[in-house]
Amino acid sequence: MAARVLVLSSILTFSCFAEICYGAVSFSSLERTLVVTASHRQGLLLAGEDKITVAWGLNQSFPAGTDSTYRTIKVQLCYAPISQVDRAWRKTEDHLSKDKTCQFKIVEKPYSNTNETLEWTIERDVPTATFFVRAYALDQHNNKVAYGQNTDAKKTTNLFDIQAITGRHASLDIASVCFSAFSVVSLIGFFFAEKRKGGKGQQ
Amino acid sequence: MEISSNGAETQPKFALPVDSEHKATEFRLFSAAAPHMRAFHLSWVSFFACFVSTFAAPPLLPIIRDNLNLTATDIGNAGIASVSGAVFARLAMGTACDLFGPRLASASLILLTAPVVFFTSIASSPVSFLLVRFFTGFSLATFVSTQFWMSSMFSAPVVGTANGVAGGWGNLGGGATQLIMPLVFGLIRDIGAVKFTAWRIAFFIPALFQTLSAFAVLLFGQDLPDGNYKRLQKSGDKQKDKFSRVFYHGITNYRGWILALTYGYCFGVELTIDNIIAEYFYDRFNLKLHTAGIIAASFGLANIISRPGGGILSDAMGKRFGMRGRLWTLWTVQTLGGVFCIILGQVNSLSASVAVMIIFSFFVQAACGLTFGVVPFVSRRSLGVISGMTGGGGNVGAVVTQLIFFKGSRYSKETGITLMGIMIICCSLPLFLIYFPQWGGMFCGPSSAKTATEEDYYMSEWSSNEKDKGLHEASLKFADNSRRERGRSVHSQTLPSNATPPADV
Repeated sequence: MAARVLVLSSILTFSCFAEICYGAVSFSSLERTLVVTASHRQGLLLAGEDKITVAWGLNQSFPAGTDSTYRTIKVQLCYAPISQVDRAWRKTEDHLSKDKTCQFKIVEKPYSNTNETLEWTIERDVPTATFFVRAYALDQHNNKVAYGQNTDAKKTTNLFDIQAITGRHASLDIASVCFSAFSVVSLIGFFFAEKRKGGKGQQ
Repeated sequence: MEISSNGAETQPKFALPVDSEHKATEFRLFSAAAPHMRAFHLSWVSFFACFVSTFAAPPLLPIIRDNLNLTATDIGNAGIASVSGAVFARLAMGTACDLFGPRLASASLILLTAPVVFFTSIASSPVSFLLVRFFTGFSLATFVSTQFWMSSMFSAPVVGTANGVAGGWGNLGGGATQLIMPLVFGLIRDIGAVKFTAWRIAFFIPALFQTLSAFAVLLFGQDLPDGNYKRLQKSGDKQKDKFSRVFYHGITNYRGWILALTYGYCFGVELTIDNIIAEYFYDRFNLKLHTAGIIAASFGLANIISRPGGGILSDAMGKRFGMRGRLWTLWTVQTLGGVFCIILGQVNSLSASVAVMIIFSFFVQAACGLTFGVVPFVSRRSLGVISGMTGGGGNVGAVVTQLIFFKGSRYSKETGITLMGIMIICCSLPLFLIYFPQWGGMFCGPSSAKTATEEDYYMSEWSSNEKDKGLHEASLKFADNSRRERGRSVHSQTLPSNATPPADV
């Protein structure tokens, strides 16, 4: 009994230490120094077909030298709050290492001091949901140091909807139906065969 | 042609040593000799295939939930649906086995649920996803036919082992699928398919496997050591029983209900974990799909030895201490499973979680094996119904547990797991109430009344009318063979066997 308590308490202690070792950057500590815009056609956007034009750059109202530590820019597609409801795997956490808001990478490239634009075709693994665009600036150690997004702080404006591909194909549908029919028909076939064998009065 | 001489039978045709019912008294794993070991291999492989199909969706949920726009509630509901179908299917399967034989019953079910697995590839909404998981779950009723078949083929000294290995290696499917499906998915995606198409194609693999295993059962299996039900019924060797009588004697046996409840908290827990563990590791520890799948798989893979271990332990305890030993061991192992479940919900680090999960899996799965070391003795006439009730109870446990603790966002998964552990401990207590007059229960010894013999217990399932017609012969043989459940201390005692006048063969 004492041994079990000892094992249990050492397991718990170790797990506490493990927690502390993980990264410490939080989203609320980041400065919003980047300006990001996303433009697209009207209506529901289709994954795999439609494009989004993303533009980002440093907010000129910040003093020069703000971006001295920026080495890389990472632009991501992020879930709007409405698409996070009852879906804990998309949850927003202040702790950046646990944050699951932004799961799709639009582009990641070296940072340059000019305003940049990119036309991005929505990839075919993007699910049906409401999104916004966020850009993170990373320093030389790949830590996030600043961000910008095309929506407001409460994530209510400039959101857009994307419709996913179904992933279904006519050939898959046909194959499913054929194989299913085969299973059922072969079962009936077996029953008939058994009945015939039994009818012959087999020993 | 059989030569019969006053009860003594010639048995040159069986590869294994057999008892008076022609059930094997030894279990040889690496043999495929007909009919005993062949039945074993056919039953565990087909059951394995059904488990693979039923739990093929969970490891791919991170992809499916995005494709079909599922919420946590949708996923929880589908998980509950996947195990609720089998509640009544298992009871129905038990009855079907009693009446038609395990071979036809299981193969029919497997071939009728295979289409649903194929149709999973065309699911396109939360509702269709729930429906395919619901109907696929019916195939888990093959568990009952597996246990019934093993109880028909193997005798008391090894029935726990046979049931445990067949059940355990079948349950393995729940673990193997967590490895197989991400692998197949990855392969198809790397060949060039998009994620949302790749998972659909991947489902053809379990579906085809299931279909082929059913064919094997039909072509190579037989119901009893002496042949198939239909043929034996024609020749008069096996009496065709009445559904209403079989069903009545099954559901009026209170031991069946207690075992149904307790099985809900070892097997039901196993099913619940199969449904939630991959997502749990993926989301909580930020692992890759593949890695979460491997860890989740190790839970189910422990079934290779844990459930068989439970069966073997039951037989060993039965040999030494009789039925009382079987019951005590079952209670102890299941309660320990509950303790480790509580711990699993409390630990915070990845490595500790994996370690505790593996220990927990051993206890929970061994408890399943131990349960089916007791089930074959509860009833002889209604073995199928009792097996079906117990098996169905397992699924009820899974449904109830997922409904209370793992639906929507009410409890975090870790809290749910801890609460589930507490429930395991509480729901194992009814085992104390099981009592056999001829063998005793956990607290009480066997009754000293003169009517407390194995024969009295098993003959109570037959009316005097039926006994006059000689319908009870098989039960009588079983009663005689089950005398070793008294344990070693009385084993040497020779008791008067109610010798039966040999029936006309």
